[in-house]
Amino acid sequence: MKKIVSRRELLGLIAKTGASGAVLGAGNALGIVPNTYVDIPQIPQANPSDRPSVVILGAGISGLTAAYEMKKAGYHVVVLEAAGRAGGRSLTVRHGDLIDEVGNPQICEFDDEPHMYFNCGPARIPSSHRNVLHYCKELGVELEVFINENKETYIQDDAMLDGKPIKNREFTTNARGFMAEIMAKNFTNAELDEPFDEWETEALMRVIRNMGDLSEDMIYKGSTRGGYSHGGFLEHGHALETIALRDLLKTGLFSMALGQNEGETGPILFQPVGGMDQIVKGFLRQLPEEVFYNVMVTSVMLQDGGVEVVYEHKGMKYKIEADYCFNSIPSHLMTGIENNFPDDYREAMHYIRRGEAYKSAFQAKERFWEKDDIFGGISWTNQPIEQIWYPPHGMYKEKGVILSAYNYGGGMHFTQLTQEERIETALRQGEKVHPNYRNLVEKGITIAWHRMNHMLGCSARWQKSRSGFTQEEERLFQTLRKPAGNHYTIGDQITKHTAWQESAILSAHWAINDMLSRKAGGSMPGQRV
Amino acid sequence: MKKFAKSRFNFLSLALLALSASANAQQYDLLDLSAQPLNNEVCATCHGGAGVGNASVGGPSLAGLEPWYLRKQLENFRAGIRGTQKEYIPGNEMQASVARLSDEEISELVDHISNWEAVAPKPRIEGDASKGQALYAACAACHGASGDGNEALGAPGLAGRNDWYMFRQLKLFQSGFRGKHPEDTAGQLMRPAAQALENDEAINDVLAYINTL
Repeated sequence: MKKIVSRRELLGLIAKTGASGAVLGAGNALGIVPNTYVDIPQIPQANPSDRPSVVILGAGISGLTAAYEMKKAGYHVVVLEAAGRAGGRSLTVRHGDLIDEVGNPQICEFDDEPHMYFNCGPARIPSSHRNVLHYCKELGVELEVFINENKETYIQDDAMLDGKPIKNREFTTNARGFMAEIMAKNFTNAELDEPFDEWETEALMRVIRNMGDLSEDMIYKGSTRGGYSHGGFLEHGHALETIALRDLLKTGLFSMALGQNEGETGPILFQPVGGMDQIVKGFLRQLPEEVFYNVMVTSVMLQDGGVEVVYEHKGMKYKIEADYCFNSIPSHLMTGIENNFPDDYREAMHYIRRGEAYKSAFQAKERFWEKDDIFGGISWTNQPIEQIWYPPHGMYKEKGVILSAYNYGGGMHFTQLTQEERIETALRQGEKVHPNYRNLVEKGITIAWHRMNHMLGCSARWQKSRSGFTQEEERLFQTLRKPAGNHYTIGDQITKHTAWQESAILSAHWAINDMLSRKAGGSMPGQRV
Repeated sequence: MKKFAKSRFNFLSLALLALSASANAQQYDLLDLSAQPLNNEVCATCHGGAGVGNASVGGPSLAGLEPWYLRKQLENFRAGIRGTQKEYIPGNEMQASVARLSDEEISELVDHISNWEAVAPKPRIEGDASKGQALYAACAACHGASGDGNEALGAPGLAGRNDWYMFRQLKLFQSGFRGKHPEDTAGQLMRPAAQALENDEAINDVLAYINTL
């Protein structure tokens, strides 16, 4: 039997929730959502007759950043990449491209059109990620606005309104209306330590009333902000029927519906015109001779004042020696490559777990979402597909590529399915959001990062607990961030904010700066402690 | 320590310079996946450079495995006799990796991997080898006193294998995730043998002994 909660009890509960919300807010101000600044390492130009040499392992964003900056300073730079392409997880697929999943290789069959691409990894650049934006500018990568939140998208939960999808605007309007009503009631009864004066009280009540579109008696009676059932232009608009708070509370998607415009996913976000890998291509334009592909590193050995790397290519073995090694090979793969790293360094590499993110996409035969007033943004569902993304580019063209599933935290559900099962699941679940979805989409592709060749994982997972790094984790992190001899581990894996390209860039900057400060201090005997 | 000023780039082979031309031209014909070469690069992603094994992703060492055992396990994975239990993710990954291989491809892989030089893995497990020696007497019946295996009994060599991998496999045999399939006759023999090890300590002890073989 359900326990009935009185209005006063409910207010008490809300007050408690509010308190933890305030704590979270303070957390953000203290740097949970980091702000970065552009501080490109100032590398003194190398003497042309005595150029330092650097071997960089991995041509993802961190490796390319390191290569680009050090080449500019006149260093002799070589980048060794295991895959047949650069970019790492910054992967965009188009017509004819290979998705190199171990055991499930796919070729993308999307139409061959510039706007028909899918960003399999990073797909949005927050405006606070200034280093990514800096390189876009410097490398001539054209940007456009990415639409992350759009109130015309859907919220769908099997537990809410018999699974019927409702527009985010309906959800948000009703949720805010009821919340404002509760705030108004709570405020008039509250005993405040320092009561507001009459003017302040009126001002606050106006804010609350406006926030929830309340009636004069501070009751939420529905609002046209949620959309019209009919009319609106030539006739008076009639509001949609109000949805009860009780019904809205049945979904766990509240924060998805209301909170997407805050924090790192809040406006404004960007995307490169033509796909995220335009950034990769921008770097490669500056590194035309430096990157070598299909190269499998088999050993990384620290030496006195340098690093020796052995690799295989087409059945032949090669050895390369350099003054420095910047290594972005995922730590969980590096543990399987012969090395002579210190034990604590290896222990740290072994500790990091690999991410399980999963994404999939369809080519849509027609841009059916546009007939539903949707232009960009994300629909949210409680089903394993979690999200449907609508392309923020190619408006009113005939076709588009639609993201049909994005599971960042626990992608193993899809990863363990066969390709056919993955596609069928995306169709079946997408149908709950868009009727007739099955007939409107085709040529599905799936990206299970846990099984992508040469990566076997999405972003590094350091923390075992949500409450932050433990002391032990902090120790391991600091161990792995420090150089081992002249070897640096780089990549978003060695940051506190994994998964973002900004982090990958900053990891490379950090390593370069550390290298420079050691050089400036001269090379000291013994090991840094 | 060496001065940083001196450049140390030193290619053993100039063939490297020839790579860059082909590097950017990674084109695949639409739907012609057979155009991809079958190579050890796929194996090495999980099983480590030169097949030395990688505990972080659960890929055991392959270098030094007997060809008959390698073939049998590849066939078992392909047929879904091993690796179909969703609870054990590395097995799952292996199953998907080989599900499409032809007989010829399996033969090629076995030939190829058999040529890899065996590397003695670093011990990761701590146990009491002297206690383990007593426990190993039961194992020796099939796997041999010196742990070099017995093809007739379907028992692979144990010496030189990753101890962490053998630990996991013993646990899988114990719980029935391995060795329960009716077509896995050798696995069925192994299951009760694994169950005879009473606890993790006993497993660690016997592995500590195997590490000395």
